[in-house]
Amino acid sequence: MTAAPQDPIGRVVATEALPASPHQFHFWTAVEAPVGIGAIVRVDGATRTVYAVVTDGRAYSDLLTPLHEVVASEGNPAAPLPPSRRAEIRLWTAAVLRQDPPEPMQPVPLAAVHLADAADVEVALRMDAFARGDERTAIPIGLYAAGGTRAPVFVDADFLLGPESAHLGISGVSGLATKTSAVLFFLSAIFQHFPKRKGSVAAVCLNVKGPDLAFLDLPSDLPPEDAAMYAELDIRPEPFSQVRYFAPFKPDGVNLNTLRTHPDLVHAVEPLVWGLREVLDYAEVLLNRDDIDAKADAFLDFLADRVVGRPFQDEWGNHHLVESFAGLEGLFRAIFDGLEQAGGREMWRTHHVATIRKVRNRLMNVSTRCKGLVTDEASGNDLPFGAFADRTVYVVDVAGLDQLGQDLVFTRVVSKLREHLERRDLGVDNVVVFVDELNKYAPADGPETYVRKMLLDISERGRYLGLVLFGAQQFRSQVHRRVVGNAGTTVYGRMDGDELATPGYQTLSPATKSKLATLPKGELMVRHPHFTQPVFLRFPRPAALAGRQGIERYPPAADVPFADAIVRQLSVLDRRVAPQRVKDLIVGRREDDVRRALLATRRARPADVLAFFTARLGRAVVRDAPADAGPAVTPLRTVEDPYAPA
Amino acid sequence: MARGTAFQGAPQPVQRPFATARVVEGARVRAVPVGPAEAAPDGIGFADGIQRWGIEGHFGLVPVARGQIAAGVLVRAGGALRAAIRLDEEFLVVPADRLGVRERAAISGVGLPVYDAVGESRPHPYLDRWAVAQVVERRREALEREACRAFLDARPEVMLVVDGGLAGLRDVPGAARAIGIAKRHETQFLDGPDLEVALTAPAGSRSSVFARELDDGTVLLSWYLRLWPWTDEDLLHGLTRVERIAGDGVVEDADRVSRWLLAERAPIAGRDSRWDRLLYPLHEVETALRAQAGGWL
Repeated sequence: MTAAPQDPIGRVVATEALPASPHQFHFWTAVEAPVGIGAIVRVDGATRTVYAVVTDGRAYSDLLTPLHEVVASEGNPAAPLPPSRRAEIRLWTAAVLRQDPPEPMQPVPLAAVHLADAADVEVALRMDAFARGDERTAIPIGLYAAGGTRAPVFVDADFLLGPESAHLGISGVSGLATKTSAVLFFLSAIFQHFPKRKGSVAAVCLNVKGPDLAFLDLPSDLPPEDAAMYAELDIRPEPFSQVRYFAPFKPDGVNLNTLRTHPDLVHAVEPLVWGLREVLDYAEVLLNRDDIDAKADAFLDFLADRVVGRPFQDEWGNHHLVESFAGLEGLFRAIFDGLEQAGGREMWRTHHVATIRKVRNRLMNVSTRCKGLVTDEASGNDLPFGAFADRTVYVVDVAGLDQLGQDLVFTRVVSKLREHLERRDLGVDNVVVFVDELNKYAPADGPETYVRKMLLDISERGRYLGLVLFGAQQFRSQVHRRVVGNAGTTVYGRMDGDELATPGYQTLSPATKSKLATLPKGELMVRHPHFTQPVFLRFPRPAALAGRQGIERYPPAADVPFADAIVRQLSVLDRRVAPQRVKDLIVGRREDDVRRALLATRRARPADVLAFFTARLGRAVVRDAPADAGPAVTPLRTVEDPYAPA
Repeated sequence: MARGTAFQGAPQPVQRPFATARVVEGARVRAVPVGPAEAAPDGIGFADGIQRWGIEGHFGLVPVARGQIAAGVLVRAGGALRAAIRLDEEFLVVPADRLGVRERAAISGVGLPVYDAVGESRPHPYLDRWAVAQVVERRREALEREACRAFLDARPEVMLVVDGGLAGLRDVPGAARAIGIAKRHETQFLDGPDLEVALTAPAGSRSSVFARELDDGTVLLSWYLRLWPWTDEDLLHGLTRVERIAGDGVVEDADRVSRWLLAERAPIAGRDSRWDRLLYPLHEVETALRAQAGGWL
């Protein structure tokens, strides 16, 4: 039996045990009725219309006890089916989404139940308040598809990107929940539908694993059904037109540490390289909980304020101009030598030598562990803070960095975004920061870290600044509850059963949980401030090339020898550069000198790349003797270094 | 001796405990295994009726009763039972000869049909109620007859299983396609060894066919059919009496019809205490009628 759209599919029933209330009611349908968990229905009472979403369903027959079935079958499960089917009921539970009129709020009338059509869906989800008129702030995020009705579902930009509420959290098991695909689709929708009058918007995507975000500027092969969904949602199925990729170098300092190294694509990847100043400003990230103390903080502040980037003279008459890690190491060596020569003093300018050693070890450690990200130069190559462009995606590929490096990049990038947004000089008014594996950065438990503190701050204050966090994680319960709680919009893909058993999902019905645990790819459950109940929807595959297909289509290039890598880097800046000429130039030169010249050339982007590079490389100095290793440092006799790396 | 069944209260008096019948299948009654159960063809109908009445008030000692009756037929296709016929009626029942003119006018002003309960001339609350019940029951039987007639008229090729005997359908065209299922065995048509064979037949077997003649000469053919084993229960457990209007091939068809009815053992109408004799589709007719009447479940 198929009901015509205008025909009722059921009727509300209420008993003393199962009464209808203002927030919930029950209705029965024919067994064949196209109703399921998540379907939106409309109840037409005499004086009010109620919209609701189906949250649970039950079926039972007039069988009094299972024993009767055993007796009827004479204990034989293989007995032929009885000629008559038992009378059976489909009894559904629905949670009220909206009542019209809203006042006085009353129990749901015992009336006919209809499947919602597209207009009903709009009203039920209160989208009529923001999806119409000149002040429209609707961002399409998927299709409601149930009971033969397909209708676009919008979220309110004011509640997705601020200022009313902001942030989006998406949870689901890896591989099946399509978290990254969903976020990329949402970003497309935002870029195409975020109202111009609300300002400009960009996205910073931190690629923390694999090639997930490495091909956002390339089109995918969309199946026809996905293309149709794009049409229904009024979104152009096209990849991101403006994407800038940033990736650190590998430890060799010349090969990019990213999977987007195919010769056809690598030209679009810019190195992410930071000098001492960039690292020192966020040195707190490098300190673990045991390290956090006022003494270390004070010494770091001293270095930042009094030493780095300005002439500094120590007590032993040495002049320092610390602009790089090498310069900083020189200062440390001078301090330790000086203290040793002063008879093993333990204090230097009110800082204990142990504190100095601890800070030194942490700072120097990063230059080792994050070699490729951190350069010995005074400055590096950074995201274009201050010159961010509207509707542009900035992908920062940190997948190849270790946890320390990822933390550092994450903290610095987000902190810089916040600083610029506070000053209103970022270049755009709103930035979406997409972070996968948010549970790593803002765990529900564990030590208090600088990264987590920063994320909590963004969660709570970001919406006023235009700094919006799109966080993805497998297990929502493992993310700090203040981060989770401040996400105005929450999205769920396929969920793990154990996760659904945690307290955060207590408000969901068992049937809704069951649906979440079996959700197919491309379907999500969404909570949004305008929706009084979670809503299931479908979304199309991203129009940008997925990481796995991208890797198959554009396999990464193998690392090349140092000279070839330099040629490749210069060729990106100027295709006319003759490879052999470059190789002749750098033969016999120190690799650090070559890297420095390359970095300077990249920063300057001169008209004549080769000439600039040659000039920065300088004249070759012929070594006729082993390099002087400098004065040896006599080991300290009195102070052990408890912070030395194991 | 087999284990017995526990009963509460005394059985009601039997109005007509015995009647005569003659065996028409062989010389003596014997138990006939009918073979494996076999589902009846799609489209078969099941007919039943319900009744309810209550005392609405009194004129002095004269009771005024209100009766509600309904009858219906469910038809089965693909295992699903769907309503085919539904009739209902609401009426008043009074002992009319004990009412004055004013009371009769008041009753007719209610707007419902009024039926006369012919009872004793002297007031007697028990007997008055008994008289009302008789009227309601006759009205219900008449309504059932109407429902069966409508079904048999509308579906000339289809069999109809009817709850109870077929005496009331004897003048209904197409009644030859009706199969009556009697669950109560107040009246015994057999005697001696024939009765013993009939009442102790094992599950899945039937008695020989026997005939009884109504006052108008109509001949009804009957046989007992044991649906469920009776050992450890009482003699009547699982025992039905199948009734057909006499006609060509009825006796020869007894096994096939019995196999259909055996198949109706499942599902069990477990919500009814008569589940051992009540066919589930007939139970469903009753359930549907009660549900539609409202407040009867």
